Amino acid sequence: MENSYKNQDRHSNGVEETAGDENTILIKRTLRSGQRLHYDGNVVVMGDVNPGAEIMASGNIIVMGQLRGVVHAGAGGNEKAIVMSFRLAPTQLRIANHITRPPDGDTQETDRPEIASIKNGVVTIELFNVSIDRQHR
Amino acid sequence: MMSEVIVVTSGKGGVGKTTTTANLGTGLAAAGHKAVLVDADIGLRNLDVVLGLENRIVYDITNVTDKQIPYRKAIIKDKRYENLFLLPAAQTKDKTAVSPDQMKELCDDLRQEFEYVIIDCPAGIEQGFKNAIAGADRAIVVTTPEVSAVRDADRIIGLLEANELRDPKLIVNRLRYNMVKAGDMMSIDDILDILAVELLGVVPEDEMVVITTNRGETVVQDDKSRSGQAYRNIVRRMNGEQVPLMDLQEGGILKKLRKFMGMK
Repeated sequence: MENSYKNQDRHSNGVEETAGDENTILIKRTLRSGQRLHYDGNVVVMGDVNPGAEIMASGNIIVMGQLRGVVHAGAGGNEKAIVMSFRLAPTQLRIANHITRPPDGDTQETDRPEIASIKNGVVTIELFNVSIDRQHR
Repeated sequence: MMSEVIVVTSGKGGVGKTTTTANLGTGLAAAGHKAVLVDADIGLRNLDVVLGLENRIVYDITNVTDKQIPYRKAIIKDKRYENLFLLPAAQTKDKTAVSPDQMKELCDDLRQEFEYVIIDCPAGIEQGFKNAIAGADRAIVVTTPEVSAVRDADRIIGLLEANELRDPKLIVNRLRYNMVKAGDMMSIDDILDILAVELLGVVPEDEMVVITTNRGETVVQDDKSRSGQAYRNIVRRMNGEQVPLMDLQEGGILKKLRKFMGMK
């Protein structure tokens, strides 16, 4: 997996370019309250993840819509897993064995895609911006 | 320690079981009692949302009844009260995920630690209801002043009696005094005439309930609201105090105040 780092500008945002030999599943609908997806690999949702819905994936989770439910990326313990959404407003966000929730009170929501990953041992949420992320690496 | 397991039930949906559970729990905690609220509405959990604790949930009741973890790991401490806890329901399972025997065992575990165990029962009379009442010592029946809700409450009281839960207490929720006065709504007397159970309290219709619920707060914490006062009175009655019913008449602040002082 490490050799994929050679070509730096082809991958970004901490996403493993070759996400191991994991599978990826594409969900072409909105996950509603009470619906739960448990998948060994990456998950891409073309829709929203509503409050009360839950996604657990051993790999990365990408939501092409609003993420308002509970997500757990890197559920097997993979600290390099990321969660990305066009609108990241989860009830609770877990990566590997880290659990975070939004702070109490009013939280400002952005209309921009954001990405959550573990940086220096804490779950960090940043705007999804390819050029900025390249500078980080 | 004297502890009680109380189930809050109604039969009909939407009459305010969850709101009542949250307010009684908060009220009891504010009065210094150690309480745990158990959401038995598996698959349609709401109590966590009403209490504003949804984003703290990691484990739920099914993890406890399946013996994967001890209950202490699943209960969530309230934001405001140190002695109030929530055992959340599972959202991605259904009522069959728990059995009455498991609920009984859970209630007996919880009663070792908490003065009050309050169970939020799902609507209906099926498995979820049977689970919720399995471990309870007594029941609080919630109804609204509508014929359908009262009919369902009557059915529930019958079912509770069949399950050895006698003498349930009644809470009439969302009463509109002006409508009762105009003869457009069932009065407390009409309701008691049919149900013939002891009245624990009357909660007036109050938009503060909606406002506080949307904020993840409970109206019982609001000193000014009438419904909050009603819930505080109910809590005092639960602790054996004699508290007269509040004046439900709307308007006339002076009169209300005088009455209120007289009550104290």
